[in-house]
Amino acid sequence: MRILDRLPRRAAREPDSAATDARRAKLGILVAFLAPALLIYAGFTIYPVVRTFYNAFHTIKPQGVVDFVGLDNFKALLFTDSTFWKAVANTAWFTIVATIVDVIGGLLLALCLFARAPLAPLLRVVWFTPVLMSYVVVGIIWVWMYDYDWGLANATLRWLGLGAFEQSWLGHPSTALWSVLVAHEWKWLGFNMIVFLAALHALPGEVLGAAELDNCGWFGKLVYIIVPMLRTTIVNLLVLSFIGKMMVFDLVWVMTGGGPLWSSETVSTYVYKRAFEWNTFDLGYPSAIAVLWFVIILLFVALMTRLLRQRDKLEF
Amino acid sequence: MTPSLPMRSGLAQVRRVPLVLFTVLYTVVTGGPLLWVAMMSLRTTSEIFRNPYGFPSPAHWEKYVEAWTKSNYATYFWNSTVVVVIAVALVTAIGAMAAHCLARYSFRGNRLVRFAILTGLVLPPQLVILALFQILLDINLYNTLTGLILVYVATHIAMTVYILEGFFAQIPQDLFDAARMDGYSDFEIFWRVTIPIGAPAIFTTVTLNFIVLWNEFLFAVVLLTDDDKRTLPLGIMHFTGSHQLDVGMAATGLMIAMLPVIAIYAFFSETMIKGMTAGAVR
Amino acid sequence: MAIVTVDGLCKQYPGATAPAVHDVTFTVADREFMVLLGPSGCGKSTVLRMIAGLEPVTSGTVSIEGKVVNHVPAKARDIAMVFQSYALYPHMTVYGNLAFGLSRRDIERSEVARRVHAAAGKLELTELLQRKPHALSGGQRQRVAVGRAIVRDPKVFLFDEPLSNLDAALRVSTRNELIKQQREIGTTSIYVTHDQVEAMTMGDRICIMNQGKVVQIGRPLEVYRNPADTFVARFLGNPPMNLLHGRIEQRDGRMVAQLAGGSLALPMRTASALSRYIGADVIVGVRPEDLYEIVPPGDPAQFARLPARVEAVEPLGAETLVMVSLEGSDAELVARVGRDTALRRGDRLDLALDTAAIHLFDPATTIAIA
Repeated sequence: MRILDRLPRRAAREPDSAATDARRAKLGILVAFLAPALLIYAGFTIYPVVRTFYNAFHTIKPQGVVDFVGLDNFKALLFTDSTFWKAVANTAWFTIVATIVDVIGGLLLALCLFARAPLAPLLRVVWFTPVLMSYVVVGIIWVWMYDYDWGLANATLRWLGLGAFEQSWLGHPSTALWSVLVAHEWKWLGFNMIVFLAALHALPGEVLGAAELDNCGWFGKLVYIIVPMLRTTIVNLLVLSFIGKMMVFDLVWVMTGGGPLWSSETVSTYVYKRAFEWNTFDLGYPSAIAVLWFVIILLFVALMTRLLRQRDKLEF
Repeated sequence: MTPSLPMRSGLAQVRRVPLVLFTVLYTVVTGGPLLWVAMMSLRTTSEIFRNPYGFPSPAHWEKYVEAWTKSNYATYFWNSTVVVVIAVALVTAIGAMAAHCLARYSFRGNRLVRFAILTGLVLPPQLVILALFQILLDINLYNTLTGLILVYVATHIAMTVYILEGFFAQIPQDLFDAARMDGYSDFEIFWRVTIPIGAPAIFTTVTLNFIVLWNEFLFAVVLLTDDDKRTLPLGIMHFTGSHQLDVGMAATGLMIAMLPVIAIYAFFSETMIKGMTAGAVR
Repeated sequence: MAIVTVDGLCKQYPGATAPAVHDVTFTVADREFMVLLGPSGCGKSTVLRMIAGLEPVTSGTVSIEGKVVNHVPAKARDIAMVFQSYALYPHMTVYGNLAFGLSRRDIERSEVARRVHAAAGKLELTELLQRKPHALSGGQRQRVAVGRAIVRDPKVFLFDEPLSNLDAALRVSTRNELIKQQREIGTTSIYVTHDQVEAMTMGDRICIMNQGKVVQIGRPLEVYRNPADTFVARFLGNPPMNLLHGRIEQRDGRMVAQLAGGSLALPMRTASALSRYIGADVIVGVRPEDLYEIVPPGDPAQFARLPARVEAVEPLGAETLVMVSLEGSDAELVARVGRDTALRRGDRLDLALDTAAIHLFDPATTIAIA
């Protein structure tokens, strides 16, 4: 309580009902504390969300002309927009694969450090570095990595004698999306690794000792003890990863811009293009996409949490 | 109770050779591209095209000066600094106040406000960006740093309040009761009790917000159009775009962009790691 | 045949100034219940973990049934351990916890079930088999931890302070149950504790450790009656043995310990051991139960009288503890007197000391002389 010792003593004020209960405050105080945050949040987050929902049911023409179109945007989206569906497919595949790689890869790296790999403290710092970089930097580096003639990717293949697998990684429709995925994972694995590492260190050491005596080698411990006990962390990271990948924009934009031929187009890049790079200016249609996608993400998150969460708490 | 013994890692019997191999491999994969870019930043483009993977000899340090002075890099850097410093200061201040209020006082709207703010954690940027574009146009803040700052503050309040509220709520109520009995006003209590004790968490959110906003791309690219307003990520795109064939120069540009972050990371790695993962590690 | 032999066991943690365990040697015979007793940090848990194979040995050997097992992995040593925090698998039911070790050893399902139910029956866990650990009380969790060890039917049981997380009443009843079980099942056991009551009541033999070294090994009453040094003397027994400074003199052919407040005629049996100490200082030890307010029946010459003043009286109901200070010195003693005593603070009395029950220790080495 040294902080309070240092404060000069003040004359006690006359008690009033709000002052006697330290957990209640006058309305003025509450407003003073909350107003700045709520105002900015309401003005620049909540209001835009509401407005986007509004936009989704309208056509927004230049000069702010607004026509109500009801569900037309959604209908056009779902039934006639093949590009949208291509973007959905791309994003879906991207999300599924990247989320799995995120969780398994992160766990693998964390286990390496937990199993006392040499120089583990240093590796922890090094392996985390890509997380700190901007998508622009990561994107450009990997664009160079993937360059057909002088990029490190093909150079490594040649050096390993696998020159036959050389590709124009970002230039070929069948490989573009996956190439972006590799770069995305390169940036993010370190993040999941840190979260898993913290969770591993929080496991009670004696339980692992008991498993050792119960005839578990490292693999047995992993399967029967560690993974089940990490379930909450795994689910949390799955959800976090899922949300992040479903909204992927920056890296795709920097590396391929959605090409070639829409093969790496994601829902987010499509929204951007419809809003700012289309022949006809209309913010209503891309707003409809954004709204629909948001609802889909929410549904899946709710589903995943429902299905995967721990039923009873694991205290330890 | 026996004092805690240094426990052998539960996985120490993993076979060493595959472990070391995997470790080396992943380190090469992580560091390799960075090393390559660093090397390229010190070589001229013609040198690079002759031998893309060679070591810089001689090392052309003057390219760094050239990149900084001959392009608008200084402007981009300055814009980013202004935007991020102000945005982080603002979001920390008002976020801490809101978090303190939600953590300490029970009032009728407490759960509602908390819920409203937490939904901000799952909002996709696309949901707000189009409307923000319209709104900033309407109030004449489009293509201004001020507009961007306001947007940054709004979009990061949720995470800041989430982290800080969790921490502030754990400060023992006794401290506040005692301060109240000593006659301190609500704001004084916030300033003299919550802030000093909550300093580690505040520091964490500052780190997190700083890194995320420093690298932020989507909002900046939509809401800024003038070259002299560009923040660093946009500037890099532009720079490498205009120097597309001048790979050497582009590499130098990238290194300049990366170096501040790497420099701070080298000294404060623990802080940065904790900060970045604060939202996920419970 | 000895089941467990520990020989010259040492453990040095890198960067530590002193070894955590230094030259520990003892054997545990078949069906014996050996207690490792000592204060926190004395290394007893480390020794246990080295026997289990959970901690690598710096030097020395651990042998089980004659075979050196230093390099045998823990799971192959046929040992079961009950951990201080029970270490139950939180995500498995009680049945799962009990069955886990067996199912990992390729034992048939029906056999696993049979053993689990047998152990559960013995420990009254049958109704709890489908519960998970978080839904169990502390005592129930402890029984599951013991059950996990029983089910394995190992050569050796290891217990790492299993009762220290229980409240006092539960501790007593659980202690009795453990003793009963050990007699029934008869497996060789090594039990680590810092509680001397547990050690005295449960052990066939006690091995007392301090600062990484073995101080004394012996049957509980032997160690109590013949402590090897002042550490053991004060560690066993509550209240601890009183220690006084004195000087050995020879008077009229007898050895006498001269204290500041009086002199004690020492028993004849100590004569030869003390010949080197004539004129030298020694530490005199006497247990509170060997100090009397009223001289008990018997040879009066056996009891030395020391003038003393009562400083404090603690009536405990069944007996009373009296703190006295000896006249002429600032030495304070604790005496155990009867529950009907009328002594009060400030009273003076001639404290009777049973000279036959005196312990003598060398002041420099603290080792017992006689």
